[in-house]
Amino acid sequence: MSIDGELVVFIICGGLSVIGALGMVLSRKAVHSALFIAMVMINLAILYIANSAPFLGMVQIIVYTGAVMMLFLFVLMVVGVDSSDSLIETIRGQRLFGILFGVALAILLIGGIGSSLGDKPDIGLKAANDEFGGNVEGIANLIFSDYLFAFQATAALLITAGLGAVILTHREAWKPKASQKELSVARFMVGAGHPGNKPNPGVYARHNAVNTPAILPDGSLALDSVPEPVRSRDDSLIVDHRAVSTVVELVESEDQN
Amino acid sequence: MNVYTPILVLGILAFGFAVFSIVIASFTGPKRYNRAKYAAYECGIEPTPQPMGGGRFPVKFYLTAMMFIIFDIELVFLYPWAVSADALGAFGLIAIFLFLINLCLPYAFEWRRGGLEWD
Amino acid sequence: MSGSSFGFFGTDPWWMVILKAVAIFGMLVVLTLFTIWWERRVVSRMQNRIGPNRVGPAGLLQSLMDGFKLAFKEEIIPKSAHVAVYWIAPVISATAAFLAFAVIPFGPTVSIFGVETPLQLTDFPVSVLYVLAIASVGVYGLVLAGWSSGSTYPLLGGLRSTAQVISYEIAMGLSFVAVFLFAGSMSTSEIIAKQQPIWFAVILLPSFLIYVTSMVGETNRAPFDLPEAEGELVGGFHTEYSSLKFAMFFLAEYINMVTVSALAATLFLGGWLAPWPISLWDSANVGWWPILWWLLKVQLFIFMFIWLRATLPRLRYDQFMKFGWKILIPASLAWIFIVATARVFRDDFAFSNQQLLIAGAVVIAVLLIGSWLLQIRSDRKQAAIESEREQELLVPFDAMAGGHPVPPMPGQVLAYTPRRVLAAQSVAAQVIPPALDSTPTEETPNA
Repeated sequence: MSIDGELVVFIICGGLSVIGALGMVLSRKAVHSALFIAMVMINLAILYIANSAPFLGMVQIIVYTGAVMMLFLFVLMVVGVDSSDSLIETIRGQRLFGILFGVALAILLIGGIGSSLGDKPDIGLKAANDEFGGNVEGIANLIFSDYLFAFQATAALLITAGLGAVILTHREAWKPKASQKELSVARFMVGAGHPGNKPNPGVYARHNAVNTPAILPDGSLALDSVPEPVRSRDDSLIVDHRAVSTVVELVESEDQN
Repeated sequence: MNVYTPILVLGILAFGFAVFSIVIASFTGPKRYNRAKYAAYECGIEPTPQPMGGGRFPVKFYLTAMMFIIFDIELVFLYPWAVSADALGAFGLIAIFLFLINLCLPYAFEWRRGGLEWD
Repeated sequence: MSGSSFGFFGTDPWWMVILKAVAIFGMLVVLTLFTIWWERRVVSRMQNRIGPNRVGPAGLLQSLMDGFKLAFKEEIIPKSAHVAVYWIAPVISATAAFLAFAVIPFGPTVSIFGVETPLQLTDFPVSVLYVLAIASVGVYGLVLAGWSSGSTYPLLGGLRSTAQVISYEIAMGLSFVAVFLFAGSMSTSEIIAKQQPIWFAVILLPSFLIYVTSMVGETNRAPFDLPEAEGELVGGFHTEYSSLKFAMFFLAEYINMVTVSALAATLFLGGWLAPWPISLWDSANVGWWPILWWLLKVQLFIFMFIWLRATLPRLRYDQFMKFGWKILIPASLAWIFIVATARVFRDDFAFSNQQLLIAGAVVIAVLLIGSWLLQIRSDRKQAAIESEREQELLVPFDAMAGGHPVPPMPGQVLAYTPRRVLAAQSVAAQVIPPALDSTPTEETPNA
């Protein structure tokens, strides 16, 4: 492919990455920010692929978009962060350090890219990929020779992350979890209540909403038929008094016959 | 023609189809406003407030996502090894085996502590 | 962009690319319509019903008409929805579903209008990784649909299906490793070429079984269809979706089913290669015939999906996660290790296959005996713990242990003191306050 094709890909994906990065910083909802980062990552992956690094590009999508951002999204959805939270500085001097590290990173990047622009021999992407017979094979050869230590260090880093997550989220079990058998025995014990299915809501009622209690043949309400979380919201029980009286009438006329 | 261009063509086709269908549906379908119809669905009762923002979810989801990252990175290292396993030979096997054992430590730890149990 | 051609790939003229893309797109839509009809018919037969048979010959046009009907249904967007994300979620789902099919091979090189071209849209050295990458983007459709609906059930369903898909994606990814070991490549066309004498499903049976199990979990199909467990979550992540937006999720689900089936056929059943008795025929693997073998293999998996749905009840969520994390993942890790070790012994230390099999048999025997002994030991330990616990329960609970009042531990019972009896009697004589009547510690005086 000619240089032009790569240039077009670079302009489109680079532009989209910048838009995504700006959107990440500027959007008010945390979930929208996370989506913009995902967009940036996908565009970076396309740029890697355009630079003859297909393995790295796919890995970028699988690991960053698929796993890391998914973790972010989970946390954002579970915790429910919004923009008002981020205005509070939780660590003292956070902004100052943030700016300092940002500038340091920028200097590092400019230095790194600048030094590679000098009089370096141009090996070419094809030659680099063909050295070991392909892109993936080349990466494998480098991982298992020059970068073996870094590769094993990754494992150590991941162990730390995993152990940290487990320890932070762990809650000691107070007592052994009841098995299905124990639960079923408990359900059928004398005095444990109603072992079978509870009556459906809305039986004999003129409304089939879940908060309409069923009416028993004697005209009383079967409060069991309304699920507990709904029942506890006292404002929400719908009782159709006309239906109650109809049922009572019906049952009484049956009794007389 | 580049090997990746066909993906772009198929992607444009699929994206166009999805957007077209969704847009067209907003013209072809009827619109009859009704307050209850536009409320969040909760089996007929007034919907509970959103669990977002102060709602509580099992932390297990977070732990699952964390383990997923660890195993995903493990996979990403396993693939290049698998492709050139013949060239890497016994040395590669030992290296990847060490790596796997390392990564199985948090996994075993989580298993032992009951992090893999859902209820 | 260098590395532009990969074998025959990347050399197609532009009209061929468009032709193939449109053909794949059309085939996926038709396959979806067909699969929905096929599923409804098969499930009906298995339940002693007839199923849709009114629209078109044998009801074949039923799902097409259902699609048209959906287009004329009202779109209901809940007031609580985050509209932009709510719109984009079905688009992500559908687009990702179509895209994953770009690297699936249908057949060998054929001639279309005088141009030699492989029956596959494209292929590159990491095409199986590409399918995984697209699958992980497709998950965004689920999670965003659940979140953006602004409703409780979809949010729960979205979280659940995401946790499920990512859990089974690991097992799925691990089952590929052994295939890459044997094929020495991640490109789908080369993997098929390496299965020429014998399919990987035969030599890598455990990998195949793990893949087939995890692909059902990955596509959220019965018996792993917990995200849409009707009794718990109404419709799961797409509860708030209607009209063609809902249709997009439906389409994505069925295309994903076809994709994972096609991937299973490609990686384990030799893709478009003819099955054994037919492969004796010389021209079985050339020309247009292989499409038929490919289609048959894919339909075999789809039939399996339908059969599973008609047969098995839904798993409980904890059982499902336990199965994925505690059985599939360790099993695939162990299997990868076994295969890799055996290969190294064969190639580097010149062991013969026969010696390896004998060694394997010895290892399995040792493991079996070892696990049996371990089981006996853990049974004994368990019995000891239980008897110890019973002993502990016999010791009465001391509410003032160490001089300070302490609450009873689980299993212990608070001793019945006369003061409490007196208090209860005096309260019973008056009106019972509601707080007391709801306390669960109303023991009988037998402790």
